[in-house]
Amino acid sequence: MNIVVCVKQVPDTSEVKLDKKTNTIIREGVESIINPYDSYALEEGVRLKEKLGGRVSLLSMGIPAVKGMLKEAMAAGADEAFLLSDRRFAGADSLATAYSLYLGVKKIKDYDLIICGKQAIDGDTAQVGPSLAQKLGIPHVSYVISILEASAKKLKVKRLVDDAYEIIEVELPALITVEKGINIPRFPSLEGFFRAEAENVTIWGADDVKADMKHIGLEGSATWVLRTFAPSYEKSVNMIGGSPKEQAREAIAALVDAGFIESGREGE
Amino acid sequence: MSKDIIRYDMEEYIEYMRDESRITGKADSISFPTNEAELKRVLEKLAESTEAITIQGARTGLTGGAVPMQGHVINLSKMNRITGLRFDSDKDCYFLRVEPGVLLSEVNTAISKLEFDTSAWSAESLEALKLLKASKSRFFSPDPTETSATIGGMVSCNASGAKSFKYGATRNHIESLRIVLADGDTISLKRGRERIAGGILRLTTQGGREICEKLDVYNMPHVKNASGYYLERDMDAIDLFVGSEGTLGITVEAEIALIPKPGCIYGVMAFFPDQEKAIDFVESAKVLESKPAAIEFFNCMALELIRANMYRGHLPDIQRVDPVCHTGIYAELHSIDEDTGKSMLKALSALIEGCGGNLAETWLAISKHDMERLKEFRHAVPEFVNSIIDDRRKSEPTLTKLGTDMAVPDGLLRDVMRMYDEGIQNAGLESVIFGHIGDNHLHVNILPRSMTEYDLGKKLYGEWAQAVAGMGGTVSAEHGIGKFKVAMLRKMYSQDALDSMMKIKKIFDPGNRLNRGNLFG
Amino acid sequence: MAKILVFDEKCVGCGKCINVCPFNAISLENKKAVIGDACVMCGACERNCPFGAIKIERMQGYEQDISLYRDVWVFAEQRGGETAGVAFELLGAARRLADRLGESVAAVLIGDGVSEQAKELIAYGADVVYVIEGNDYENFSDELYANACIKLVEEHKPSIFLLGATAYGRSLAPRISSSLETGLTADCTVLDIDRESGMFVQTRPAFGGNIMASIVCPARRPQMATVRPRVMKKPEPDLGRSGSIVKFAPVIEMSPKAKLLERIQEESFGVSLADAEVIVAAGRGISDQKNLALVEELARLLNGAVGASRPIVDSGWIDHSHQVGQTGRTVAPKLYIAAGISGAVQHVAGMSSSDFIVAINKDKDAPIFKIANLGIIGDAAEIIRELIAQLKSS
Repeated sequence: MNIVVCVKQVPDTSEVKLDKKTNTIIREGVESIINPYDSYALEEGVRLKEKLGGRVSLLSMGIPAVKGMLKEAMAAGADEAFLLSDRRFAGADSLATAYSLYLGVKKIKDYDLIICGKQAIDGDTAQVGPSLAQKLGIPHVSYVISILEASAKKLKVKRLVDDAYEIIEVELPALITVEKGINIPRFPSLEGFFRAEAENVTIWGADDVKADMKHIGLEGSATWVLRTFAPSYEKSVNMIGGSPKEQAREAIAALVDAGFIESGREGE
Repeated sequence: MSKDIIRYDMEEYIEYMRDESRITGKADSISFPTNEAELKRVLEKLAESTEAITIQGARTGLTGGAVPMQGHVINLSKMNRITGLRFDSDKDCYFLRVEPGVLLSEVNTAISKLEFDTSAWSAESLEALKLLKASKSRFFSPDPTETSATIGGMVSCNASGAKSFKYGATRNHIESLRIVLADGDTISLKRGRERIAGGILRLTTQGGREICEKLDVYNMPHVKNASGYYLERDMDAIDLFVGSEGTLGITVEAEIALIPKPGCIYGVMAFFPDQEKAIDFVESAKVLESKPAAIEFFNCMALELIRANMYRGHLPDIQRVDPVCHTGIYAELHSIDEDTGKSMLKALSALIEGCGGNLAETWLAISKHDMERLKEFRHAVPEFVNSIIDDRRKSEPTLTKLGTDMAVPDGLLRDVMRMYDEGIQNAGLESVIFGHIGDNHLHVNILPRSMTEYDLGKKLYGEWAQAVAGMGGTVSAEHGIGKFKVAMLRKMYSQDALDSMMKIKKIFDPGNRLNRGNLFG
Repeated sequence: MAKILVFDEKCVGCGKCINVCPFNAISLENKKAVIGDACVMCGACERNCPFGAIKIERMQGYEQDISLYRDVWVFAEQRGGETAGVAFELLGAARRLADRLGESVAAVLIGDGVSEQAKELIAYGADVVYVIEGNDYENFSDELYANACIKLVEEHKPSIFLLGATAYGRSLAPRISSSLETGLTADCTVLDIDRESGMFVQTRPAFGGNIMASIVCPARRPQMATVRPRVMKKPEPDLGRSGSIVKFAPVIEMSPKAKLLERIQEESFGVSLADAEVIVAAGRGISDQKNLALVEELARLLNGAVGASRPIVDSGWIDHSHQVGQTGRTVAPKLYIAAGISGAVQHVAGMSSSDFIVAINKDKDAPIFKIANLGIIGDAAEIIRELIAQLKSS
């Protein structure tokens, strides 16, 4: 099975802080990491390859430094890596990103399955996967938590929706987006590391993939950021003091008052 | 005011009668001084009595060092400010000045983010901080597993961790100490300034008392050691106080060294088909030109423990590694840059293969996230042991785990490991063995299933202590003696040596008030 | 092609742009700002330059006559034979937007045997209900529903199209927007019409909840957005309202390649997080995995669900399906008890819409107290034990 895994390099959003004066994100000192959901996507791809044979190709869009992340991903089992890197790709919203990745997939040409992480932790939109599937004219299944059966023609997957699990059968070629916890991503192996060292990451510019300039980058984006600002919450908290017993008592009284607990349930 | 600072309502302070050794002590009163002046006031109040005074930090110790047997407890957790920074251009080193109650985790976070509460810092400290921010990253290298330990506690027991294989234990990284004695007098010690020369200790306290004493120098084992006073004929006096387990004085301020952070760090987890091959690998790795910063051991039972108890999610997937009796070795490589790091990796890989390891099954952690995962994997062994023991205590409440902390000199590693394995097998006990094999320092954890097994284990433990002492090793390589290994200390040192230590104790604490019960019983 | 320009004659080398650039893409050379490769044209420098020395020349890629597009649509997601609550909430929001624009509200209803739902949708504010019915539409299908919506949109040209950011909605919406080559903004918390420009402004959290971004889609139609359940207020239904029902039968020349085989309503979900009115959530501050039993008991006593912060999910203490936060679920219960949770922005982003928040934490400076109604400084496990004891004893 030939698998394309889409991976994105993102800032570690658990470490970013907001500059309250300029209302922009402080990236200084914040590490760039592989989007955590994409690690799960990669691992799932490598497992399928181990089971069914074939090849795992990485596809990413980003700055040249993303090469390092792709090498590390190759050391964890991917066979080759393609990086769409060009100033003209910059400023893309999820529509333009999906188009650019679509061009990348078309250039890779032979694929049976595309695996994406559910969402990127900087944008958090979860839109690129389904958008890419629509552009390629293939079916997609989101929120996959387990691949139950896999063959050259189809997949049977389990996915998590709001209040239930669903078992879905999908014909290949198809695209899936995966949830965290679908597997435990492996570490790169030493053997993989040395192999990846010897491999090159293929870099494609906008011309290499025959991009229609109207549809990539800022120009190809339908949405723009008007402004950014700090999240604000206007609340003044009522702090309860005293011993744990007293605190619990007062808390229950407040909850009874607010109607969350029927009265007559107080501890007095 | 004086009434407030010493508290007598001990029912409110039951948790302060314990440390991580899980035994509960008792005390008549407790105080939480917030600065040196308050501490001295407490000592003044207690000056008339002869009661014992137990000093506490975060109570993360494993040998009862912070557990009071009687008298008063001084808890230093409220003396927890990072008070300044200094750059020494001759040594090309930054020194961070901290109060004893600062946690290791706080120090690590502050240094990595370069964020400090500088509201009370001097102009010099602020200047040094500016310099530090503009220069290459630094870090504080002693890395005991328990990062909620205080710096004061680390100084007390000369704490060490995996990286101490390369960088040394806490003692190597203390530049100066400010110590308050039981009588309220103060000593200021700086590396290179106060010395013990030809066995003669010379120093003057702040109160003007001149100390000039000839000490009987004894032999310390040539191993990583945290048992008894550190003493050499010619040494910096400051080193005597590090690892003295609070029996000589109370640390109220310390300067810790911040050394350059390596530009490139790799974590390698290798698995070997049997224990002998793993030890072969360790012995060759130790003598590599660019030796690893840490070498850690996991015997096959330790790996089985992780396999049996790991849950879905965060830990690296050891289920994928062939369960045929594997022994695991973790090696951490520190280098100045990526190119150097890669060649170190190549050299290590050749060794791994040569000793029967499979490079396709050797894990490599490169990103910070993966390094964290691997660290959690390593710490999972002692954590799982604790969980299992906690479970067993539900039906047998007096059960505890039996953990050893012994180290032997180079060349005796295989002998001591054979001794552990045979002993455990003959007694039919459940155990895991893991630890800092680079320093020939392994933790044998026996998990008794009954009090009978517990007694068997204890007996074994005593036999091992005797044997290890005979090999010139130590019974406590990093946890300290505290109150529970006093008998072990007596196995390690001759009566003359113990008398010499008592003499040192009498110089600084003639009333035997501080941490009574530690070291000497 | 879009360009970013620095006007050297205006640039004084103050470096403000360098400080605000989220991507470290700007440097100073010969006291002039130089934009490097890492630039993604987010516009932060342009907005913040005190001297107007930076300009991004935006050229829209493709044209569309947006004046042909009118009205605000809402996708009326069906679940278990009923319209999902979020659809009613969105009708309320759509009404508000349409009134500002002087336009109408329509609902899109897809399924099998769903026409009875149409009347309810009208009662909640729809002026028109487009009904697409048939056996093929019995179960949700991304491909089929997307193609049907695309054909409907192409026919009737709405200006704005809103969907619930439910599992289905977030999966369906991007297929539609991608095909129509239009903009889609996910997980909006505020939808508004800008007073001056008349633009539809969609506000949402980004960077894990660390920042709020206001987004516009000026040149493409329809402007699409998804909104999480319980973020907008459900309006009061007016059973006397009138509206029209329009049947639509798109000709779709494809059969979906993804098939639903089985739906499993797991018991372990208990009270599902999404619907729970009360949530008791645990973080690292509960100290030990064992203490989750206390959290579960408290939740049971309050008829609530159990939530979790990311750190304890990552540590394997509890399954990911309980995670609340930017990379977990967004919830908006009436009562949210945060036990031992520090209140990092990523978690807060997932629960800040809760009506009443009780925070229990050892650290008095924990950020959770900034958004709580009631705060208790203490050991989470201990306080929960007390709450359980007192609730039980009455």
